[in-house]
Amino acid sequence: MNYGRMRFVTGFLAIPVALYVIYVIAPYAQAFYIAFTDWRGVSASPRFVGTENFRRLAGDGIFWEAVGHNLLLLILMPLLTLVIALFFAFLLNAGGRGGTGGIWGSKFYRVVFFFPQVLAIAVVAVLFQQVFRPDRSGMLNAPLIALGLEPVGFLSDTDIAFWSILGVLVWQAVGFYVVLFSAGIASIPRDMFEAAAIDGAGGAQLFFRITLPLLWDTIQVGWVYLGIAALDVFAVVWVMTAEQGGPDHSTTVMAAEIYRNAFQYFKFGYASAMGVVLFFFTIGFAALALRLSRRERIEF
Amino acid sequence: MTQLSRRELLRSAVLAGVALPVLSACASPVSNGGASSAPAAGATSAANPLGFAADKPLEIWVFDGGFGDGYAKDIHEPLIKAKHPTLEIKHNATKEIAKTLQPRFAGGNPPEFINNSGANAMDFGALVQDGQLADLTPLYDAPSWDDPAVKVRDTIDPAAIAFGSYDGKPYVLNYANTVWGIWYSQKLFDDEGWQVPKTWAEFTALCETIKKAGKTAPFTYAGKHPFYIYEAILTLAAKIGGKDVLKNIDNLEDGAWKAEPVKQAATAFAELGAKYLLQGTAGLDHIQTQTAHNKGQVAMLPCGSWLENEQKDSTPADFGYAVFPLPDFGPSDALPYGTMHIQPGEEYIVPAKSGNPRAGLEYMRAMLSKEGAGKFMELVSTLTVVKGAGEGQTLKPGLKSASTALTAAGDNAVWFLFRKWYVDMHDEVAAASGQLMSGKLTVDEWMERAQKKADSIKSDSSVKKFTR
Amino acid sequence: MAEAAISRSRAHVREERRKRLGPLSILTHLALLIWTVLVAVPIVWTFLASVKSEDEIFGNAWSLPASLRFDNWARAWEQAHIGQYMVNSVIVVAFSTFGTMLFGSMAAYVLARYRFRGNRAIYLLFVSGLAFPVYLALTPLFFVVQNMGTIPLIGQFIGLNTRGGLILVYIAYSLPFTVFFLAAFFRTLPGAVAEAAFVDGASHARVFFQIMLPMAKPGIVSVTIFNVLGQWNQYQLPLVLLTSDREKWVLTQGIADISTAAGYDADWSALFAALSMAILPMLIVYTLFQSQIQKGLTAGALK
Repeated sequence: MNYGRMRFVTGFLAIPVALYVIYVIAPYAQAFYIAFTDWRGVSASPRFVGTENFRRLAGDGIFWEAVGHNLLLLILMPLLTLVIALFFAFLLNAGGRGGTGGIWGSKFYRVVFFFPQVLAIAVVAVLFQQVFRPDRSGMLNAPLIALGLEPVGFLSDTDIAFWSILGVLVWQAVGFYVVLFSAGIASIPRDMFEAAAIDGAGGAQLFFRITLPLLWDTIQVGWVYLGIAALDVFAVVWVMTAEQGGPDHSTTVMAAEIYRNAFQYFKFGYASAMGVVLFFFTIGFAALALRLSRRERIEF
Repeated sequence: MTQLSRRELLRSAVLAGVALPVLSACASPVSNGGASSAPAAGATSAANPLGFAADKPLEIWVFDGGFGDGYAKDIHEPLIKAKHPTLEIKHNATKEIAKTLQPRFAGGNPPEFINNSGANAMDFGALVQDGQLADLTPLYDAPSWDDPAVKVRDTIDPAAIAFGSYDGKPYVLNYANTVWGIWYSQKLFDDEGWQVPKTWAEFTALCETIKKAGKTAPFTYAGKHPFYIYEAILTLAAKIGGKDVLKNIDNLEDGAWKAEPVKQAATAFAELGAKYLLQGTAGLDHIQTQTAHNKGQVAMLPCGSWLENEQKDSTPADFGYAVFPLPDFGPSDALPYGTMHIQPGEEYIVPAKSGNPRAGLEYMRAMLSKEGAGKFMELVSTLTVVKGAGEGQTLKPGLKSASTALTAAGDNAVWFLFRKWYVDMHDEVAAASGQLMSGKLTVDEWMERAQKKADSIKSDSSVKKFTR
Repeated sequence: MAEAAISRSRAHVREERRKRLGPLSILTHLALLIWTVLVAVPIVWTFLASVKSEDEIFGNAWSLPASLRFDNWARAWEQAHIGQYMVNSVIVVAFSTFGTMLFGSMAAYVLARYRFRGNRAIYLLFVSGLAFPVYLALTPLFFVVQNMGTIPLIGQFIGLNTRGGLILVYIAYSLPFTVFFLAAFFRTLPGAVAEAAFVDGASHARVFFQIMLPMAKPGIVSVTIFNVLGQWNQYQLPLVLLTSDREKWVLTQGIADISTAAGYDADWSALFAALSMAILPMLIVYTLFQSQIQKGLTAGALK
């Protein structure tokens, strides 16, 4: 029995672990090594430079700007997405005052809200480039110009561009969480709502006293997903913004700086050092999230 | 999954496991030294003066951008094929040069010939630094395609060789020639009675007139790619202060960006940005602004001489592209009226570690023939570095205008090279220039930013420095 | 009992009426409609732009096309090979998702339900992959795949510019997420059924494939959906691993290529047509299967 058990464990783990080690672990291990060299990619002779890249990184304003944007996204993107999604999920399921069951048309809304999620991010980025165009061929600016107002530089004004990016990210993410939370709310026993409603609880009370606490686990899962997504933002920034992370670095993120330094400046050593920093950010976030989520589940 | 295939997969995984230590060693193979020498020649002959190997293929990668790849397929490849029928040519085209070919360099099997151009081109500095590029000296010393008594070197513009040289060695062939200036529609100017401005005062007066007329915006540039405007700023700075202004900038001299002529030029353009730009310029790219130009929404924009060709599909038939040089800034300008920023461009390289580098050189020799260059010029509507290539070709109005301006500029041609040498500096100056034009940076802040970047590159030991 | 049911249903009816008439209900629908518009309009607008002429695209954003120019679609289809790219994407994603789920569930199951030395280490190795920024690994990864191509016999199927190579890479990079969630899922499954099967003499593999895997179906379905979406939308990896062979390009590469091309050739109408072609099948497939997708999605994530 024991022999068979070990053979089974080994047999089941062999292929996944082998694939993973070859294609994921090995390249990353090399990347960590590269972070300590001045490798410029094309050459075959990385020179070991110690912590020089990291010292340089500490004084690189653009990179820290990118880190700042990532942190802002890490807070705002999950927050906005979850709040909006919870709001719509509650509206869809609880309807008006204290009701239960789905609102009229809730199925339709759920289908449509999910649409952005099935679109490739590259497609979304190209699409929103047109939405944000600064002249009268831009979807948002055309009516403004028609009214004789100044067009808004959604992607060209350094004070606005970041928020446009955030908007697109939230636009794409909300639908998924509406569906997720809808299912969560649907799985809450109706008696709870009814009992509370009989006790005279209003819509807001129902939401804060019942819906929110019972969904807390799901919300946390969502927060972890979105947090990791926020640290990984790349395609939207790269495809959509001027100067790929601009204008004037106002939308740049860590992934974009890594890609730029690696594949445009060919500073693979330096870019790898940035990657190492991003690596520790993500690990740190994941550890924090896991710690915070160690909380009693509400069973029902 | 059946038992059989699982066992197969298992076996391959084991094989891969064995291969792994080897892989990690291979990912950073030992270099064979930095500086590359000219590729060794095989047996040479009158028909094959460069001594390439006729039995190995010639792999060609063309950047599929503004020029397309038709010129290579329809002009240059048939040309070399006619002379060397046994040479196998593998034609490729891509828009993503770096992403496609950079790994091939790292893998040690680059192709023989690359048109390293476009927004996603590979960094020349890094390639040179790593000894990846073949020295083009044998090509320039070889007899020319048309006349064996004349060397290739003597059939082309010397600026082209200077432009492709790193530390005195030619590694890059700049084939097309570009002249930068302010473009306008001859028809629009004629219809409205506007005159080409000769001085900066006339220029701003013209902008004011156009603005007052209200139908057309005076000026724009590719806002999403602010290189298009810092190009003009630096050209004006050189015109005010002389060629050394740009040379100092290229050489990362202390305080080069804070020189008075640079300040004057930036101030002039910042004023233009504040008063006369097409609405929304900052958010538009080159195609969008150029299309607005074609539609008569804007009167003038700075661009290179490829403009007419790039816009051929959206230009009205009677548009009449024409170009004028930057106006005189003041009476004390160091360089006279007609000074142009020229930029031999469209870079071609032969990777030193390719299988048949001498065939790449032979291909370049074919390109530099009168026939190759002349047909190229006519097809893609651009100037070339081959002397007299335009003779007997019918040129479109814009190209003719650019050609005339180039000839008129003569020795008063200015250029800068840091864009190629230090790509990150180019990005920083571009980013700051966009902000300068939209009024978010003052001239002093703009100079500060550029100077700071220059200083940081100067102190970065991992970046190879170039001088001219 | 019956009385309670009647009173409840009466209350329900009352609720319903209030819901229909109340001002809150109108506001509710208004809010939902606004988001519907926000989501739908950019997509519909893209479809509209795909039949506009170049001039119309550069004109007022809200003008309707004067005539429906389906030649844009023809151009995108013929010159941009959207159909070919789509088929490639389907092939790659089908195989890689299957492989991901098979190997991922095998590893997750063993790690979740068997105690052995090194279990925790292997689990952490997988899970830490969630935090790896892929941009860091691209260049070394290229070499790994290139070297795989030199293995005798199988090399030609898993090297650079092969679908096999891309599929294996997709699988490997999907494992952290898959293992992480499925392991959590397997842990929550009750052990009683499996115990009974062992007592009856079933093998470990049999218990996995015939008992535990079916029990884990909700989790499997939802992770499958995540993987299909993730792999279908992947852009970075094919860009590096499938560069030179256009025939094998996946859809995202095709779209990005046309988007880059629009900067040079200015064929904006074809870009919108291609975009529409990329969007449409996804919307249709999703709409057809939406109830299964939503059920699977939520079953897993809520567990």
